[in-house]
Amino acid sequence: MNLDFSQIVPYIPFMLEGIWVTLKFVFFAIILGSILGTLLALFKIGSIKPLRWFADAYTSIFRGTPLILQLMIIYYSIPQLTGYDISPFLSAILAFGLNSSAYISEIIRAGIQAVDKGQMEAAQALGVPYRAMMKDIILPQALKNILPALMNEFITLTKESAIVSTIGYLDLMRRAQVVGADLFRNFEPLLFVGLIYWCLVMGLTMIGRVFERRLKQSD
Amino acid sequence: MINVQNLYKKFGTNEVLSDISTSVTKGEVVSIIGPSGSGKSTFLRCLNLLEVPTSGTIEINGKNLTASKKTIHKIRQQIGMVFQHFHLFPHLTVLENLTYAPMKAKGIKKAEAEMKARLLLERVGLSEKEKAYPNSLSGGQKQRVAIARALAMEPELMLFDEPTSALDPEMVKEVLDVMKDLAKSGMTMVVVTHEMGFAREVADRVLFLDHGVLVEEGQPIEFFSHPKTERAKDFLDKVL
Repeated sequence: MNLDFSQIVPYIPFMLEGIWVTLKFVFFAIILGSILGTLLALFKIGSIKPLRWFADAYTSIFRGTPLILQLMIIYYSIPQLTGYDISPFLSAILAFGLNSSAYISEIIRAGIQAVDKGQMEAAQALGVPYRAMMKDIILPQALKNILPALMNEFITLTKESAIVSTIGYLDLMRRAQVVGADLFRNFEPLLFVGLIYWCLVMGLTMIGRVFERRLKQSD
Repeated sequence: MINVQNLYKKFGTNEVLSDISTSVTKGEVVSIIGPSGSGKSTFLRCLNLLEVPTSGTIEINGKNLTASKKTIHKIRQQIGMVFQHFHLFPHLTVLENLTYAPMKAKGIKKAEAEMKARLLLERVGLSEKEKAYPNSLSGGQKQRVAIARALAMEPELMLFDEPTSALDPEMVKEVLDVMKDLAKSGMTMVVVTHEMGFAREVADRVLFLDHGVLVEEGQPIEFFSHPKTERAKDFLDKVL
């Protein structure tokens, strides 16, 4: 078997740097996706029809087309249409954030609708305004139910982040390809970053468990 | 205090409440009884607009409830509601359940809200539970917390929607005792109940609903010993 991991040793710092590069945009994409997803979910369950239509159309578009296509459209069409030379970093945050928000909005919508209707009635009967009720009573309870689904989405996002390598963003995946091209050996660097992705996901899983335990306090 | 005129409520084509007119004066305790499906709960829920009436008017302290959606949460703050299934906020402690609405809806300071909440917990006999979460309480304890939570808003009127129906039999008394105590203190109360004993002992007036119609109303002694209508007689024969 022609396997030689010693050859990638000099490239290890270069590849490890990719962890930070990947995490950086994944972090911002998750933040963007969560905020936007929450808003869209509130639109979907709200009573204002145009907002509901907007949220539904939004979800249908971003869920109905490939993520890699959305990424390319953002990266290539923005400079062409506006003249603004968008960086791969910003394109990646936008594409992943916008795409993820469509999925997150569905998760949160289901979570809100699964909260006992009596909770809303109790808050209304106490004269609590809608905003406060959503923020303090409904969403915290919804969050507890949807945490596993939400962690799933974040894990998927972290792994799928590898497709930003296609627009030349120097993330983990791209770095493995660069090293592979340099060495004429692809298997070792690919295996190496594969291990790193796995570790990242394990880390996320652990964080999710901690959150879950904390939310279970009231049981 | 409450004035209901020609109240109708339809769910689709199904008429649940039909031409109900009645009033409740300050300090009065009114029990609503009737077979299940008679519209008792729907009527009660109309009184704080958890159900929106199809037509008719409801006035609370001279303010028309159905007129404006904007002021509804202001009016609701004066109306406490206790539900059959408690609906305590499960992610908040007992004390937080009591202080949340006064702080958020009325802007009362935390220290003051907590002080008042502790007095109320003492009143319902649950002082030692202030740090507990609702899921660790028994049904009777939950309902007493729910009553205290409603009282924390210092309402002028309390609505009870079958407050003891979801309780184990041995826990009914502790909740009824709290309600009796409340009635004695002069609180205006409207109580949908299957507890005929409570209706007879505590209520100043009984409303009997059947198929969405207010069939009969009167003083409990009168109503329970000499019901005027056939339907009320039938019902009382079955439950007493």
